[in-house]
Amino acid sequence: MRADPAPDPLDVRGLEVVLPSGAGVGPVDLALAPGEEVLLLGPSGAGKSTLLHALHGAVPQVLPADVTGCVRVAGRTVGTTRGADGSWAGAAVADLADAVGVLAQDPETGVCLPHAAEEVAFPLENVGVPPHVIGPAVAAALDATGAGHLAGRRTDALSGGELQRVALAAALAPGPALLLLDEPTSMLDGAGVTAVRAALATARTASGAACVLVEHRLDDLAGEDGLAGLPARWVVLDRGGRVRYDGPARDLPAARARELVALGCWLPHDVEETALLGPDGDLPAHAARIAPAARRVLRDGDALVAAGLAVGPPPAPVLRDVDLVLRRGEVVALVGPNGSGKSTLLTCLARLAPPRAGTVTGPRAGFVPQRPDAGWTRVTVRAEVAAGLPRGPGTDARVAAALDRFDLTPLAGQHPHRLSVGEQRRLGLAAALVHDRAHLLADEPTAGLDRHGTTTTLRALAAAAAEGRGVLLSSHDLRAVATCADRVLVVADGRVLADLDPLALLRDDVLLAAARLRVPPLLRRVAAAVHDAAHLRGALTALDDLALGLAGDLAGAGGADDVRHAEEPVGSTGPGSVAVAR
Amino acid sequence: MTALAERNPTVKAGLLLAVSLATVVLLDPVTLAALYLAGVAVARFGAGVRGRALLLAQVPFWSFALGVLAVNALSRPGTVLLDSPVRVTQEGLVVGLGLALRGLVIGALTVAFLASTPPRALMVSLTQHARLSPRYAYALLAGHRMLAGLPRHWADVRAAQAVRAPLRRDGTPRTGVAALGRAAFALLVHQVRASERVALALESRGLSDRPRTLWRPVPLDRRDALLAVGVVVAVAAVVVAGVLVAPLLPPWLRV
Repeated sequence: MRADPAPDPLDVRGLEVVLPSGAGVGPVDLALAPGEEVLLLGPSGAGKSTLLHALHGAVPQVLPADVTGCVRVAGRTVGTTRGADGSWAGAAVADLADAVGVLAQDPETGVCLPHAAEEVAFPLENVGVPPHVIGPAVAAALDATGAGHLAGRRTDALSGGELQRVALAAALAPGPALLLLDEPTSMLDGAGVTAVRAALATARTASGAACVLVEHRLDDLAGEDGLAGLPARWVVLDRGGRVRYDGPARDLPAARARELVALGCWLPHDVEETALLGPDGDLPAHAARIAPAARRVLRDGDALVAAGLAVGPPPAPVLRDVDLVLRRGEVVALVGPNGSGKSTLLTCLARLAPPRAGTVTGPRAGFVPQRPDAGWTRVTVRAEVAAGLPRGPGTDARVAAALDRFDLTPLAGQHPHRLSVGEQRRLGLAAALVHDRAHLLADEPTAGLDRHGTTTTLRALAAAAAEGRGVLLSSHDLRAVATCADRVLVVADGRVLADLDPLALLRDDVLLAAARLRVPPLLRRVAAAVHDAAHLRGALTALDDLALGLAGDLAGAGGADDVRHAEEPVGSTGPGSVAVAR
Repeated sequence: MTALAERNPTVKAGLLLAVSLATVVLLDPVTLAALYLAGVAVARFGAGVRGRALLLAQVPFWSFALGVLAVNALSRPGTVLLDSPVRVTQEGLVVGLGLALRGLVIGALTVAFLASTPPRALMVSLTQHARLSPRYAYALLAGHRMLAGLPRHWADVRAAQAVRAPLRRDGTPRTGVAALGRAAFALLVHQVRASERVALALESRGLSDRPRTLWRPVPLDRRDALLAVGVVVAVAAVVVAGVLVAPLLPPWLRV
């Protein structure tokens, strides 16, 4: 018998999950003390979300899978097998609502009721909290997530970032012993990411709950604090869903950090620097040594021209007096705060919405929306790329080439909706570029992507420009902008504030403040060491090359086995902690 | 807050059902017209639906009523009122008018009900006062929230089709009827996937068949009883008046 009356918030022993697709995760052993925080890391497709779902019974109770092992939450066994009468042997998902708070990726489907306050009250009602206690508890939970002002609002009028904060408040309201946070910012725009991160930071400390956080944009999450801004304990999964590391982040050996970069994780700036350049590496000196990126060749004719443009729904246009010329061969980035009209401008330039005033002239552009999955209308990846093209052998060859270029050939027969976020973005680009339009407009093309996904996407955009297309992308990620753009249009307060090169933007604090843009620490250090924008682009590209090189090394050193077998059942392939094969 | 908005949704739903059933036994156009005018007055003054909104909300019911009237007037046998260009019978006209007015009465009261009843209040009240399982009530409420997002998702799908559609000579996209079907299917797939995630969210928040508490219960009090009695008395009065007035009506207006 234990003397401690409060059982551990989480105690997982020998957990293995195999999904119907054959992919899986485990075996996992994980015990959390009250208030302990764990960061769950791993490349796309490693099974991080599956593992989180298994921790509160959603796998296998709602999402079918074969589960072995034992999960106990706050002393209660989670139902993973059915008893003789067909009911779950252990607690059901709904039974654990007082012990587990869950925050999912998609803000649209994480909030269910018409009003924000009712949403937060809902779990309290369900677990039987006396009505007179609910009001103060709702207010406290909303305040803890910086959403107090949203209490009376209708949820269908909230932005993604606001919805996630309400959903987080609902997860915190019952005072759970365990919080499960599944990439809560991956579907948000810049302002939403910032707001939700601030809310998470306060909520994690204020609630006193143990916490399992899945997140791969660690550089943003850590912010200026670097490693100190993150949960102290890290659990790292490999592509096959096996635990590669479980321990203090501070003790993460350099080899493991390099492996994380190789697996595509975004790391805090201090860890990334060490991983890429070694413990004695000097980022500014390294950046200064790199040759500037080659100048892009602009092509004449067929420019996309907007003159005196005003865009946005009535009453007042969100953005007005926009004059811009997108020439073939250049990459232009559009940055600005949330709600400044970036997406609206792009849809107008793509001729999907008429301008309120002014004109758009030039050839019709290709367009990749912020969430490409919203527009899939075919049942296979191949058919989706071919959509809108005439039938024939010429098209087949073009589609095959596009699939190959974006590494989608192995997925050609899959349903588009079954792809991961990174694969969806690649498909969106392939489906847009196969049409061979003179220009490509892309709305937040790197949002929610891991490091390699981001690099691949930015390089595809650069390649599209090199082939003679004009590329205009919106982004809240200044590092991505500085890695690929020749020019930056800064929009805020209803107009275009500036049209300048990325380095000039990074050095203009007034403009950065006006557009509410934050420069990541690593980018700031690199920017301070270079002398022009081409040099900055070269230095950042060189860092991406190093990261891709590490991925190549990992594959060459035997890690490739994990990659190749990622789709196979992993239940019985190895012990919980596999030595790094280097 | 309007007078009707303060009343209990279950009581209002019950009264709407009761009046709708009562109209089924009525065919007298005069009585039904009086009930319709009363229904419009309830929507305007009880539920606060004004002007344009009141007219627009009734358009579907008027269209239905017009169809019912036309079909009956043109197809029902009886005394011929008009033979050219089409044959219209007196019986057809009167019966059609009665049936059309039935639809309008139900329509006007439905407008009043929906305008004065927030979805959450309705569902909570049904769980409190009509023993509806919270599992169904809150699932319906979540579904209602998803419905509100449908137009935006439809626009997203159509936009995605438009940017990849083959271009005409003038550079505008060419989308056909087949694309509409595909868009509808894409929307369906999207909704099914979204509803799976919503279902999981509801369950994660503890929605089950177990007893639960209620933060802001929907009140049910004497004023609701008064409303019920008032409506029953008013409808009965109109019906009785209709019966009394019937012999005084011109013969062509009698059923």
